[in-house]
Amino acid sequence: MSAGMGEADFLEALKSKLGDKILRASVMGPRRVAITVKPGDHRIAIEALKAFGGSHVSTITGTDMGESIEIAYHVWCYQAKIEASIKAEVPKSSPSIETISDLIPGSMLYEAEARDLLGIEFKGLPYEGRLILPEDWPEGVYPLRKDWKPDWLR
Amino acid sequence: MTTTDLIIGPQHPALHEPERFVLKLDGEYVVDVVPRIGYVHRGIEKAAELRSYIQDVYLIERICGICNVSHSLVYVQTVEALQGFEIPPRAAYLRTVVHELNRIHSHLLLLGVVGELFGFDTLFMYLWRDRELVMDVVESITGNRLISAFNVLGGVARDVGPSQISEAKRAMEYLRGRMKFYKKVFAEDPTVEKRSKGVGILKPSSALSLCAVGPVIRGSGIKTDLRADDPYAAYGEIPFNVITYDTNDSWARFMVRVDEVFESIGIIEYALDHLPDGPIRARFPRRVREGEAVGRVEAPRGELINHIISKGGDKPYRFKCRTPTLANILAACEMIRGGQIADVPVSLSSIDPCFSCEDRLAIIDVSKGERYSARIRDLMAKYGASR
Repeated sequence: MSAGMGEADFLEALKSKLGDKILRASVMGPRRVAITVKPGDHRIAIEALKAFGGSHVSTITGTDMGESIEIAYHVWCYQAKIEASIKAEVPKSSPSIETISDLIPGSMLYEAEARDLLGIEFKGLPYEGRLILPEDWPEGVYPLRKDWKPDWLR
Repeated sequence: MTTTDLIIGPQHPALHEPERFVLKLDGEYVVDVVPRIGYVHRGIEKAAELRSYIQDVYLIERICGICNVSHSLVYVQTVEALQGFEIPPRAAYLRTVVHELNRIHSHLLLLGVVGELFGFDTLFMYLWRDRELVMDVVESITGNRLISAFNVLGGVARDVGPSQISEAKRAMEYLRGRMKFYKKVFAEDPTVEKRSKGVGILKPSSALSLCAVGPVIRGSGIKTDLRADDPYAAYGEIPFNVITYDTNDSWARFMVRVDEVFESIGIIEYALDHLPDGPIRARFPRRVREGEAVGRVEAPRGELINHIISKGGDKPYRFKCRTPTLANILAACEMIRGGQIADVPVSLSSIDPCFSCEDRLAIIDVSKGERYSARIRDLMAKYGASR
């Protein structure tokens, strides 16, 4: 395995590949960077990470940001030794984004998990049905959204 | 081709924990497998957002009983990274020691269970007897066998004295001798060979594309270990080897764990010999600044990741945790596919599944009706999630 690369060099190299597709980029800490792109461009960004050995999706975080839902794909780049978080925001009224499970099959269950708990539609995701919530859980109720409160279960 | 469905689980498909796998069979052979998780979800991510950073240490440690130290470690590290906080060097070394003790006991636990699955109960009893020795060391250092709240924000909760250090080192020396015996058993015993060699093949290309982690990916010959690649605690200063085997089968995954115990013993001895002086804890603020951080540790089962988003204040805005078993589920399905029914428990256990770890997000799934809502009410009343 390689010795890795610095966070600033990594961001520079990624900017030269993606250009103005990057809306925001920052170094979160040692071996951690965050890059925000538009929904749709996230697939291009994840493809671009493959040049750095970025084939391992650690997980996908969905976060209710109020008006929108932020989707963060955490990808470990084996050669660069950087955990890159590629982020895209989708509107909460119609949260929908293309799947990346065709690019990296290991991301399938993380997408299914985010669909169950936050109601994000991943277009083209092959895993059907529920992964985590029970079958009798009501449709359209997503427990990790901020407007869902645990006392609703009482 | 017509296939028969065989449902394994939700009761105890491998270890004593619930999960369901629907196998599509052609005679004795498994053609396909569909996993269904979620049977022991407890809503911990949501609960963590409703509690303070300090309360969450104790909540998150309870995600898993076996690898509890990994869970509390990755959480406190992520919150410390969020705050840009440096812990004292002695605390980093003590965290490393306890993390490795946790790994040894977890690996011995799994290897013992595997012995039982092979039908080799003597091996199971020997391994679990020796595991007790590790539990005694853990108890002497942390104050409890399992859930001990040893990792706290800003450092660790307890210091070690000379008698604890010599006790731990004596135990490690004894364990090294025992592990030589177990390595011989796993490497040469015909029962182990017949049940695990060539069983549950996971090619390196599949391990990578399915994003497998930990001993599973290292058993497919890929040299990756976060302790070496993304060092945390004191790992940047401690020499050790990353173990890989390249036979891609269940046997390789068990051997990776056997050899990792030797490495862990070495790490513990080195850390105890080079323990820096000084405080074990620094004062950590109650309120955490705005921002986000991603923390990762090499838990016994592989990469464990936390992602915490803070909007300031004393509670996390979003706490995300992905445990290694979830990352290895697709790899386990790949191992089972094409194999025989009788090999399913061995292949499944070779990922060292921990379903309680993996299922933390929603609420306990107890089929339907009255029992379901009653359970939830009990849960909420007991843990006060609506405070």
